[in-house]
Amino acid sequence: MSFKPIKSLAELHNYLHATIQLEHATIPPYLTALYSIWPGKNSAAVHILRAVLVEEMLHLTLAANVLNAVGGTPDLTQASFVPVYPAYLPDGEKDFQVSRQRFCRQAVETFLKIERPARAPNEQSQMVRRKRSSAAILSMLPDNEKDIHYYSIGEFYQAISQGITYLEGEKSRCGETLFIGDRARQVTREYYFSGGGEVMPVVDLPSALAALRLIIEQGEGGGDGAFDYEHEISHYYRFEQLLLGRYYQTGDQPGCPSGEPILVDWDAVYPMQDNVGVADYPQGSELHTAAREFNAFYYKFLQKLTRAYSGHPELLMAAVGDMFRIKEHATALIRNPIPGQAQNAGPTFELDEYAPAVAPAEGDLV
Amino acid sequence: MNQSANVLYKVSQKLEQIEYDAVVVGSGVSGAIIAKELAERGFRVLILEAGTGQDLSTTGYEQYLASFYSSVDKDNNAPYPVNASAAMPRSPGIRKVQPGQPDASGYFVQNGPYALDSTYTRAVGGTTMHWQATTTRMLPEDFEMQARFGQGRDWPIRYADLAPYYNQAEREIGVSADVEDQTYLGITFDPGYVFPMRKIPLSYLDKSVARRLDGTEIELDGEAKRLIVRSVPQGRNGVPNPAYDNGKGYVPIGAVSAHQSEQGERCQGNTNCVPICPVQAKYDARKTLVKALATGRVDLLPRAVVSRVHIDPANGRVTHVEYKRYADSGCTDVETGVAKGRVFVLAANAVENPRLMLASNLPSSSGLMGRNLMDHTYLLAWGLMPEVTGTMRGTQGTSGIEELRSGVFRKRHAAFRIDIHNEGWGWATGSPYTDLLDIVDNKNKFGKALRRGLVDRISRQLLLAFMVEQLPEPGNRITVDPRYKDALGNLRPVVTYNLSEYSMAGLAYCRQLSRRIFQRIGVEDHTYYDPADYGYFTYLGQGLVFRGGNHFAGTHIMGTSRQDSVVDFRQRSWDHENLYLIGAGSMPTIGAANTTLTLAALCFLSVGHIANDLRREKSTTVITEGGPA
Repeated sequence: MSFKPIKSLAELHNYLHATIQLEHATIPPYLTALYSIWPGKNSAAVHILRAVLVEEMLHLTLAANVLNAVGGTPDLTQASFVPVYPAYLPDGEKDFQVSRQRFCRQAVETFLKIERPARAPNEQSQMVRRKRSSAAILSMLPDNEKDIHYYSIGEFYQAISQGITYLEGEKSRCGETLFIGDRARQVTREYYFSGGGEVMPVVDLPSALAALRLIIEQGEGGGDGAFDYEHEISHYYRFEQLLLGRYYQTGDQPGCPSGEPILVDWDAVYPMQDNVGVADYPQGSELHTAAREFNAFYYKFLQKLTRAYSGHPELLMAAVGDMFRIKEHATALIRNPIPGQAQNAGPTFELDEYAPAVAPAEGDLV
Repeated sequence: MNQSANVLYKVSQKLEQIEYDAVVVGSGVSGAIIAKELAERGFRVLILEAGTGQDLSTTGYEQYLASFYSSVDKDNNAPYPVNASAAMPRSPGIRKVQPGQPDASGYFVQNGPYALDSTYTRAVGGTTMHWQATTTRMLPEDFEMQARFGQGRDWPIRYADLAPYYNQAEREIGVSADVEDQTYLGITFDPGYVFPMRKIPLSYLDKSVARRLDGTEIELDGEAKRLIVRSVPQGRNGVPNPAYDNGKGYVPIGAVSAHQSEQGERCQGNTNCVPICPVQAKYDARKTLVKALATGRVDLLPRAVVSRVHIDPANGRVTHVEYKRYADSGCTDVETGVAKGRVFVLAANAVENPRLMLASNLPSSSGLMGRNLMDHTYLLAWGLMPEVTGTMRGTQGTSGIEELRSGVFRKRHAAFRIDIHNEGWGWATGSPYTDLLDIVDNKNKFGKALRRGLVDRISRQLLLAFMVEQLPEPGNRITVDPRYKDALGNLRPVVTYNLSEYSMAGLAYCRQLSRRIFQRIGVEDHTYYDPADYGYFTYLGQGLVFRGGNHFAGTHIMGTSRQDSVVDFRQRSWDHENLYLIGAGSMPTIGAANTTLTLAALCFLSVGHIANDLRREKSTTVITEGGPA
């Protein structure tokens, strides 16, 4: 392993801000694919996308818990928090970009890359130096960190785990601790739960490492097979089932699922234009209005999450209801053609016009 | 993890050569609990289920949902396939019974005088597939109706005897409720007890009603009652209570799925809990069945309709049950099989249990098999709230009024509880579908005016459902008649159902109280009882309509001797010592409490005794080996 180690609290905060950004960055592409499927069709794909999404939201919450535990303040409302798609992931994987696109083979192949197992093909390529492009979004890392890139999300999290362990070791030698965050800001199971792993409060080194381990395992798998130590199937293998046309069952080797067949109907999908933007909709059209309404609502949603992660975890309950609204707004776009074109509209997740230049004070948030 | 591993789709030739420890008839909540608990104690169990077995997969469940969405009648059994081999009662098509002319057009043969529109579901998971999941405990006084009020019968056990089993049932079902709200009218909990999950929050509609109604005093037979809108305990996933189980907490059980679909861990507030929860946040017995099957000691044989219970005439013991197995719902390729066990448990429900016993010519030496049929009779009252109250949000029922479940008036008329329905007038009028038809066809509205019209009308709707207790009366009964057979040749249930003075007086009082409540909260009363309705009756000159509550009970009633009852307090048959008849059929009274929680608690009580019987028999067998039987 040859990461550039995290050596200061400021660096750790930056990395943790990036994890929040990273976990969120997968949500618009997954939501878009999910909502592009015709109602009542592709049940297996719908369940797989939905289950992965629920867990990404869990990861987002766990990342916020870790940042809160070490005295940081999550903020999902800053300009460029949501990437401009197609985008590189915030951990700097440089060999592929992520798009907002309809459910299709290419999208699932990208999802596999997002969730790919931690080990780089060879030690050399594990950490890649690459100049930050305008599309990359690791905006919160200091300049000298911006050319750090990890092969996978798993490696990125391993770097963070090592950094936390190192910094807590340093602190404890002085009789102090890294975990000085207000416990009331931790999101606990009362406010959030999902079947695949539980949200856990982060209050010390073991709970921080457990939270990070859960994120890695759910994404890529923890053991040698498709299932992790809790017998849960990881995102990578969940998605792979759609390409291989068969469910994994316990005992299967990676690449060789032996469960029930899955029938995927790639045509039972609305033909949404890839990475469609508000500018693609005629000024004054219903689509234009609907797309802007979606973005405004989504930005408010991120404001609410920010507040939930800043001492008001009870707001997550209401956020569940907001997900229904997001679905309504999104499907209203996805199910309608762009005038004069063969392709359909979609939500654009272009939020920068709503983001203030400076982060607002807590009291200003919804 | 493939949870349907032990679902036997093909009957092995050897099935009848296996002697199971227990053969359970029915895979609803009772059968599932018994099977799981016995299997966890190390016993081998066979479950015979009359319905089809598609239900343990996500795909099967989605077929149910698709049937529900596409069905014109959104009745209790709309999601569950029409199946001639194991037919079930369905409420559409119910009509008045003409005197002397039983109506055999549905599965039930309605013998009158009133047609009963109550239903149950014959499918894996049983009637919990369509239940509303209201999990009220019975009141202590409900167990002592004869001693305290000179009405009905007393139970051979008391509330305190059942209390520990209520705790177990609340764990298994996963009840969301707050102890503070549920401690009333004598209901007590162990010190420090909390429910697995916190209460499902009250809806905006509930709060609107509560704001105007809470604290209203009424007087009944000299007793003052203060009406309070309370949260309803329910078997659907809410926020887990970290204090549960001495601080161990509770992990909600989500959807049954072989592929980790990870949904249903929390109620999303869809308003079609009855007949099917789209996300499986509502408990149904499949959640218990999955745990039972995971032990590896339970076999589940779907599409197997038990047709006869065979006994050894020498000692009354059950030797085996005979079943008819069908290939599909068109009753083709029917084969007859035999299942053997040391103990037999009939968990088919309060209609099917006595039907099967009577069809097997086993009427009980008490003569009470099938008699004392009880149900909750519902009186509906509906109107429009003074302002928009967000009707159609939340689960179907989040609050109710419980104060009239208790009182000295029970000497005179039936007790009841009141449900505030979040889904508007649907049950009474067929809203919102009927509203839509009216606005389009009669008011000629379209576009925005149509949308506005629908919102105006629906979002102010209030429906109060008065759930009225019924006493055990031997004349209300399930019988069989060789003239009425189903497609497999099994005898169908003949339902004889009447309303007593006690019930009618209670129902009439409910109507009176509904007017007062509506007056108090400023509701415009739209209640109308159609004389042509099959539930229409008159009491003291007033016309009313009742509806069945799907809470069949009493038909293999529990008591203290073989002369006055079918089963003892353990739900064991007095006549057949290795036969248990379990479920609401054993209940001597039902009070104004939805029956499922109590029958689940009774199962936990019984299973300890069943296990003891099995262990004792084992040792007896060893001792008397080679000796006379």
